[in-house]
Parts: sequence; C-alpha cells; structure tokens
Amino acid sequence: MNGKRTLFRDRTRRALGSLVGIVLIVSACGTAASPAPGSASPAPSTALASPTEPPAVTAEPLPPTGPGPNGGVIVRWFVGLGAGGQPQQLQAEAEFVNAFNASQKEVYIALEIYNNNVAANILKTQIAAGNPPDIIGPVGVEGLNLFRDQLLDLQPLIDSTGYSVEGVDPKLVDFFKLGENNATVGVPFATYPSFLYFNKDLFDEAGLPYPPTKVGDMYQGKPWDMDAVRELGMKLTVDASGNDATSASFDPSNVVQWGFDMQYADNSPLAEASLFGASSFVGSDGKTAQIPEQISIGEKWYNDGVWKDHFIPSANQINSDLLDKGNEFESGNLAMNESHTWFTCCVYPAAPATPKIKNFGFAIAPAYKGTITAKLHADTFSLLKSTKVPDAAFKALTTLVGSSELLTLYGGMPANPAQRDAFFKTTDANFPGVTLDWSVPQAMLAYPDIPNHQSFVPNYAKAKTAWQAFQNKYRTTEGGVDIDAELATLKTTLQGIFDEVAP
Amino acid sequence: MSDTTEALIVPISQVGRPRWHSTPSGRERLWGFIFIGPWLIGLVLLTAGPMIASLVLSLTNFDLVHPDAVRFVGIDNYVRMASDPNVLKSLQVTFSFAIIAIPVTMGASLGAALLLNSPKLIGRNVFRTLFYMPIQIPLVASTLVWIGFLNTETGWLNAIIGFFGVKGPDWINSETWIYPALSLIGLWGIGNFMLINLAGLQSVPTELYEAARIDGASAWKMFRRITIPLMSPILLYDLVISLVVTFQYFTQAYTMTNGRGDPNHATLFINLNLFNEAFTFSRMGYGAAIAWLLFVIVMVLTLGIFLFARKRVYYAGSDR
Repeated sequence: MNGKRTLFRDRTRRALGSLVGIVLIVSACGTAASPAPGSASPAPSTALASPTEPPAVTAEPLPPTGPGPNGGVIVRWFVGLGAGGQPQQLQAEAEFVNAFNASQKEVYIALEIYNNNVAANILKTQIAAGNPPDIIGPVGVEGLNLFRDQLLDLQPLIDSTGYSVEGVDPKLVDFFKLGENNATVGVPFATYPSFLYFNKDLFDEAGLPYPPTKVGDMYQGKPWDMDAVRELGMKLTVDASGNDATSASFDPSNVVQWGFDMQYADNSPLAEASLFGASSFVGSDGKTAQIPEQISIGEKWYNDGVWKDHFIPSANQINSDLLDKGNEFESGNLAMNESHTWFTCCVYPAAPATPKIKNFGFAIAPAYKGTITAKLHADTFSLLKSTKVPDAAFKALTTLVGSSELLTLYGGMPANPAQRDAFFKTTDANFPGVTLDWSVPQAMLAYPDIPNHQSFVPNYAKAKTAWQAFQNKYRTTEGGVDIDAELATLKTTLQGIFDEVAP
Repeated sequence: MSDTTEALIVPISQVGRPRWHSTPSGRERLWGFIFIGPWLIGLVLLTAGPMIASLVLSLTNFDLVHPDAVRFVGIDNYVRMASDPNVLKSLQVTFSFAIIAIPVTMGASLGAALLLNSPKLIGRNVFRTLFYMPIQIPLVASTLVWIGFLNTETGWLNAIIGFFGVKGPDWINSETWIYPALSLIGLWGIGNFMLINLAGLQSVPTELYEAARIDGASAWKMFRRITIPLMSPILLYDLVISLVVTFQYFTQAYTMTNGRGDPNHATLFINLNLFNEAFTFSRMGYGAAIAWLLFVIVMVLTLGIFLFARKRVYYAGSDR
C-alpha cells in the first residue's frame, strides 16, 4: 500500500516535472513576438479599427484563399520599394485602402507596408517563399530593375480593358516599357523631372543674374549650356578670403562656397553625365559593355570641375560640415544643384532646425551642344507575373494610379497635367515667402533621358557597385584621375560582370 | 546470520538494473536536460538548422528572386570562389586588417587595463567608466561620428595634426590610411577587453609582486615574468575573440562605404562581400558558400591558436 503511494507520488512528481519542462520549452520557443515581416503568412490586411489607432505596417492575417472581408478578390499591395514607407504616410495609405475596400465588393486590397531599407530584401524573401504580393509600388526604375523578369507585361490588360491616361505625354507612357523585350511594366503615375535649384542669395551676393527659367533663353548673352555653367560655377565658388575661383588669388585649399553639383545622384556617372546626353553602359545587344562618348566627356568635365576649376566639391568637401555632411544645397554653401522635384524634401532641414537658405528658385537644365537632357525619375505601380488574379490586380492598380490623394502623399508631380495644381499648392505651402516657378519642372518633362540613367543592364546590382566605385575614385583622388584610363578599366570590369549572368 | 536475513539479501543481478532516471544521479541528469531543453531546442532549430540549411544552399545556385530556377551545382560555388577577384580581394583585406587591428586592440586594451589597475591613478572608477562608455553607443552612430572626426576638411583629427604644421592624411579615402583609421575607430571600443583584462590583472596574487620586488625585479621584468604568464588564459581569450570579431567585421565598413568597399575595394571585408553576394546581388547559394569559407578559416585559425597556446598558457591548478 505504502509502496503504491510512493509510486503514485513519484509519477505525479514526474508528470509535474515534465509539464513544467514542456511549459518552459514552449515559452522559450514560442514567444509572443510579432511575426517576422516577409514570413510566408497569409495575406495581411489593413487593420485600422479607428482613426485614432496607430496604423499597422503589416496587419491581421487574411485567409489565404477565398474572398476578403468585403467579398472581393484579395489583391496584395506591397509598399516600400520607393516612397510610401515613411511613418507619416502609413495612416493615409491605410485610410485610402479602407475607403476603397468599403466602396465596392469586387476587389479587396490587402496592404503591406515595409521600411524602404528592407523592402527589397523582404520582397525577395516573399518571392523565394512562394508568397509574393500582386502589386508593388510606388516604385522607380531602379526598383523595377531588381525584379525585372518578375514583372507582368501590362499591355494585354491595358488593351483588354481599354485603359488610358488622358492628357499624359506619350513619352511618359513609353517610359515604362522597361521590362523584358520592352514589355510595359507600369503606367504613368508620379514624375520627378530634374532641373537646377539655385540659391538666389548667393547670386545676389555675387551680383550675378539668375539662370534662365525658359527653354531657349540666353544667359548674359550666351547660350545656357555646360560651358556657361562652368563659367558661372567658378564665379560663385569662393574661398575663405572671399576670392572667387576665377581670381588669381583664389585659394583652392580653403574653399567655403561652391558653384555647382548634382547632389544625391547615387554616385552614378550615368546620372552625372546625363546633362551631356542620355547613355547606357550596355550596347544595343544587351550584353556588351560600352563607354559612350557622353560619359567620357561628362566625367572629364566633372573631374576638372572638382580638381582643376574647383567649382564642384570633392567627396571630402561634400561630407564636411561646410556642406552639411552631404546635403550640400541645404547648407547654403552651394549655389546650383541639379536635382529632381523630390529634392524639395531636403532644401530645408527637418524641424526644429532653422533653414539656412532664405530664397531659392528653379532654373532650366543647361544644354550640351544645343540639346537639353533633363534626367527623369518616375514612379509607378507594377504587377508581378506570379499574380493569380491579374484582372482584379489591374483594377486595383488603376485605382492607385488614379488617386490624387496618393500623388500628394508621395510628393510626386502628377503625370497627368490636370492633377498638378494640387501638388504645386501643397509643395508651395512648405516654402512660405518663396516663389517657385513650376513651369520649369513641367518644361523639363519634354527632355527626358532615354535611355534612362537607371535603365537595365545585365547583373544590375553588381554593375552598379562597379560604376559607383569609379565615381567615388575620381571624387576622392587628390588631383583627379585619368578619366579615359579609369573608364577603360570600368568597361573591362563591367563586361566581366555582364558575362557572369550571360545565358 | 539467520535464515531470514539471508533470505532478504538478494544478489543485485537477480533484482535487475534500476532505470537510469530513478537513481539520484539519473534524476539530476533528467532535470538538467529539462532545464537546458529550451536552449538545446533553440540551438538545434535556430543555429544548427540554419547552418545545415546554409551548407545545402551552398551546393545550389539558389537566387532569391528566381527560386524556381534553383538547381544542385555540387561544389561549383566553392570552385568559383578560387577565381573570384572579389573573394580573393576580400580575403587579402581581412587578413591585412587582422594583422594590424588584432595586436593594436589587444595591446591597447591591456595597456589601458594596466593603467587603470594602477593604485597611483586618482579617480580610477571614473576612468574605467569613461573607457567603457563608448561600448554603449550603437556602432552605426559612432561610425558616423568618426567619419566626421576623420574628415580632411572639417574633421578634428586633421585640425589637431594641422596645428603642428603637418597636413593630415585622407584617412577614409586612402587605401594606405584606411586600415589605421579603422583600427583607430576600433580602439574606441576596447572597453570590453579592457574590463576583462582588468579582472585578470586583479586576480594575480599581489604576493608574487612583493616577492619579486624584494628580489630586486624591475617593473618590466615583473610584467614579463609574472603578469603576462598569469594573464595568459585571459590573453588567449582576447586573441580568439578578437580574431572572430575581426573576421566578422562588417558594420563600420558598410556604414563608411554604403557597402561598396571603397576606396578601391580596400574595405571589402569578407563579411561585407558575403552580404553583398547574398543580399544585394541575391545570390544566396554563392553567399552561403562564402559564409562556409569564412567559418572554415576562423575555425582553422582558432584551432591553430589553441594548439600554439597549449604549452604557452598557464592555468593555475593544472599540471602544466
């Protein structure tokens, strides 16, 4: 009897012990941490119970099959490859999706928003896990390049639905023929033409007239071209003693103000040299590396501008306190900056810092040999080939593209001219007391760089690191480099990189 | 002995062996397994599992963006590494940096520990805190601060050097000066090693120094003959950890060059190259192969250090 009791106690103890052990194991391995983004979970949906709740980045899971809560076909929209991942944008995106889902019963958009820094890797992981979204965007040319052979040709859907964007320049429609075999992988949504931002105060201080704001206008009786930019840039470059770069007393080792740069050009020689004409590092056969003349001429102009004429800052100067550690124009010490409409984001520092620039304006991009090339950035939405619901996804895509709320939210200049006024007013409100001439960016849309400076080359991500290294080298090598020799080396390197992925 | 007593004594062989978990030591073992169970499961699922998976991946051409095209390629990835200029360059960069950074880090952390262990130093605790504090700052943030500090135009370091009439070098963009610059940045983070060395120094019996002093030993001799031998297990630990950390060097190089390995691939450390191949270029299979190369290199070097240290490290209480 006694022995049975002991046995019973032992078993109870053992059972309890096992239970505790199991609990420990489960609690250790099954923590209530939030699910990893990009995991192969069912499609998440927007989950804003009320406007006061913080927006969800990835929201509650939906059933993997079957209709969404509104009875419509579930279409997953992946945000983060371009604009859209900023904290202040999440709420508005979720509200837009909720309103759309409530307005009809055919399509249910399930929104997924990721931080831009990780979005590309998360999308890759989702594709690898067999759980890709249906729509990606807003996304620019470079983002599309990374997933080029995963993108659906939209032309059959455009033809079958009769979709058209009224009033949009046909050049912009063709701009998105970026897929394999020139497939249409996007429709015009937001555009970011490039032009010159100039600091009016620095021009006033030097007693120089502002650069032209109309195509064809001259500057001080001469054509507004790259030679004029060089000359003007040198006059606006000043050393600590107040001498400009055209003066014999100018001290290049002690510069405090520079004339020109193409800020935030992603260390790309293609972007820099685009002012001299559009070009690509790959030949028309799509596999042979080439160094177009525009690149050679353009990079020599920059190399001399940094090290001989000193009106363009070197990498060390850009990263110094004098040029706000990289935000050159915002520092107030750069007179002219060639950039896109999205750069309005960065003319003033984030609050509560006080702007260093009091007054600035927009000017026409300079010509080279009589031809203007204003490099273009453009955002769109794309469908992945893997989508199982192309018709519903295309319907959702056209809704996104047509939304003026989203255009304003992402800060892109609408491709459709009829929608632009709202964008201009919103942007103007950020710069009280400053008059911005919006005819300049609109005029520049007529001079896009085709081929685009971000257009596809084989093994794109690796090729990009090679041309960035070239750009970094000439900007960091004291005295400059032999551009022809460096470009010859780059050509060999690029050919090796292209050959790695040759079929 | 009575018949009754004899009847109670049964040979063990007739009773049978007790079950292992019913003995006291068995129960201890069982409880031990229960308590380390969560960790063991974590080890298998989160460490061993991914390691095996990466080994399998390294034998494929797995590309994140084209998962359907995955196929077994045998040892192709490993063969390719032998002729890949980026892999060869990254190995050269990593070894070159290790040769400079490991002795500098070890020497500086031991030197700082010796200084902070000195009874003559006033405010020792304040200095110990100050030396340790940089460890608390996130690496990316501290690297950004260093980039500003080392800038040729407005950086403080070249301004200080310039004060003596000498033009400072281009620390970040020169292939020659980038390693000293990175070593300098590394010195900022010696707090952990310094603390471990300090603990080691404080465990050296003071009687040994007193006896040596009576025998007329100089400070250098005491350092060489007492401190170093008694600190040898700690120094071995420092060396192994420094080696592992150096071969996994990534954050500073990535932050300074946006992952490109500038200038001219001088900071293309093997871990950075691995990251680029696997995540930037999406070649997960090739990236996994580089990861295994890194693992083998670190393992071989660590084993080599342990073999070398067998007769050179003094363990109190051991027979060596």
